[in-house]
Amino acid sequence: MPSHNNSRRPYLPAFRRDWWLQLRFYQLYMLREATVLPLLFFISCLIYGLYSLSQGESQWLKWLDFMARPWVVALNVLTLAASLFHAKTFFELFPRVMPLAPPSLMIAVQWLATVVVAGGFVVLLGAWV
Amino acid sequence: MTSRNIGIMRYNPEQDKKPHTESYQVEADDNTSVLDALQQVQQQDPSLSFRWSCRMAICGSCGVMVNSVPKLGCQTFLRDYPDSLVISPLSNFAVEKDLIVDMEPFLEHLSAIKPWLINSEQSTVPHVQTPQQLARYQQFANCINCGLCYSACPQFGLNPEFRGPAALALAHRYNLDSRDLGKAERMPQLNAKDGVWTCTFVGFCSEVCPKKVDPAAAINQGKVESAKDMILSVFKSSGVR
Amino acid sequence: MSNSGQQPTRSDEPIWWALFSAGGVCFAVVIPGAILAVGVLYPLGLIPGEMLGFERIRHLLFESFLGFAGFIFVGVAICLPLFHAFHRIRHGLHDLQWAHGWAAKSACYCSATLLSVIALGLWVAAH
Ligand code: SF4
Ligand code: FES
Repeated sequence: MPSHNNSRRPYLPAFRRDWWLQLRFYQLYMLREATVLPLLFFISCLIYGLYSLSQGESQWLKWLDFMARPWVVALNVLTLAASLFHAKTFFELFPRVMPLAPPSLMIAVQWLATVVVAGGFVVLLGAWV
Repeated sequence: MTSRNIGIMRYNPEQDKKPHTESYQVEADDNTSVLDALQQVQQQDPSLSFRWSCRMAICGSCGVMVNSVPKLGCQTFLRDYPDSLVISPLSNFAVEKDLIVDMEPFLEHLSAIKPWLINSEQSTVPHVQTPQQLARYQQFANCINCGLCYSACPQFGLNPEFRGPAALALAHRYNLDSRDLGKAERMPQLNAKDGVWTCTFVGFCSEVCPKKVDPAAAINQGKVESAKDMILSVFKSSGVR
Repeated sequence: MSNSGQQPTRSDEPIWWALFSAGGVCFAVVIPGAILAVGVLYPLGLIPGEMLGFERIRHLLFESFLGFAGFIFVGVAICLPLFHAFHRIRHGLHDLQWAHGWAAKSACYCSATLLSVIALGLWVAAH
C-alpha cells in the first residue's frame, strides 16, 4: 500500500451476522442446510427402533406406539417434506458437480431412483399391495 | 424521459466516518442504465467516484450493488427497478471512495492460482486443439474479472482468505485446457482449506455472474479433482505408481 | 495476505466431503421412502401393524441378503446420513458465526462417528 497517500481510509464493515436473511436466495440456501435438523430427528427414531429391536418384543411394541404418536407423526411429515426439498436441490446440483449426461436426464434418473426405493419400502412393508 | 429518484452510497474518506446514502434526481427512460444514471449524477456532483470503461459488459470494471445484488452498472437498467433503487459499492471489499472498492485482495487470489498456460515444452509445432477439447473449458474461460461473484459469496465475506469463485473457476479452466501442463502446480492451492474446500455451494456467485461462467460448478468440479488428487497422493507416497 | 511462496497444506476435507456426498445421496434417495413407510403410512394405518411385527422385522433385517440387509440399512439410512447432517451442521455453525475451527469440526464429526458406532453396535446386539 502506498504510504505517501494518507488520505486513504478504506472502509470495510464487519460481515453481518444476519446476512442469510437479506436475500431470498440466501434464505433458500439456509433452508436447504436446515433440512438436516429434521433428518436428525428421523435418524434418532431409527436408532431408538434398533435399540428397541435389541430389547425384545415388548420394547419393540413400545417403539411402534411411539412412532404413531401425533407429534412424532407431525415431525416425520415435516422430515419427509425436508427430504424431498433436499432431494430437489441435491439432484439439481449433482449434474453441475459431475456433468456426466444432460442435466435434465440426470435429474430425472435420480428422481426415478427415489421413487423406486420408496416403492420398494412400501411393497416390502405393506404386503397388501 | 421521466425524472426519478435513486439512492447512492457515498463515502469520502477525508470527511466521513462511514458511508451513507444520498438521494438524487435523474432523467430516465427505458434505455437508461445504472451507469448512465451515475454519469448524470456526476454532472450534478463531480465528486462522485465510480469505475467504468467499456459500457458493454466486457471490461468488468463497473460492478456495483443494486438493491443489495451485485450487478454490472452498464448492463442493469432503471426500468427493472420501478420502485426504489439504491446503488452501493461491491460487498465484501473495502470501500475507498463512494462506489470505488479496493480490488487488490481479488487480484491476489486470481494470481495465486497461476491463471495462464503453463507449458514449458519446447515445440515448434502449434498446439492443435479440437473443438471438443475447447468445449471442455470454454464456459469457464468467459470470465471478465468483474468480481461480482466475490460480492455474492458469503463464504468470501466470512473468510477473506478464501480463493473465491472467479480464481477457482479460472484454475479449473486452465486445468481443463489440453495445452496446459500446470495442473500439478495449481492443485496445492485447490487442495488447501482456503481453496475449493471453503465453498458450501451457496451458488449465488453463478446466479450473479454476467457471463454465465457458473463458478460454483467449477469449484465443485474442483472438489472432485482435489479428492482424486488426494487419493493419488496416497498411492504415490506409498510407492505405488 | 496470500502466500505466493510456500505451498499451503493439503486439507483433509475430501474425506468429509465424500461422506457428506454419499450421505446426501442416501438422504435424497433412501430416506424419503423410509419415512413414508415407517413414519407416515404405518401411523396412519395404511401399513398394517403386523407388517412391522417383531419377528418379521427381525427376519428382514437379520436374515435377508445373507443377513446383511440390516447392516446395509443401518449404513444408508443412519450412518451416511449422519455424516451428511453433521457436515452441514458444522458449516451452518460457521455460516451463522456461532462456532468454527478445529473444535467445532471435531465435535461434529465425532458426534457422527459415535452415533454411527452406536447404531452398528445395536445392529450387532439385536442379533
Ligand atoms: S466468474 Fe463471473 S462474476 Fe466472477 S469475476 Fe468472472 S465474470 Fe465476474
Ligand atoms: S463498463 Fe465495462 S463492464 Fe460495465
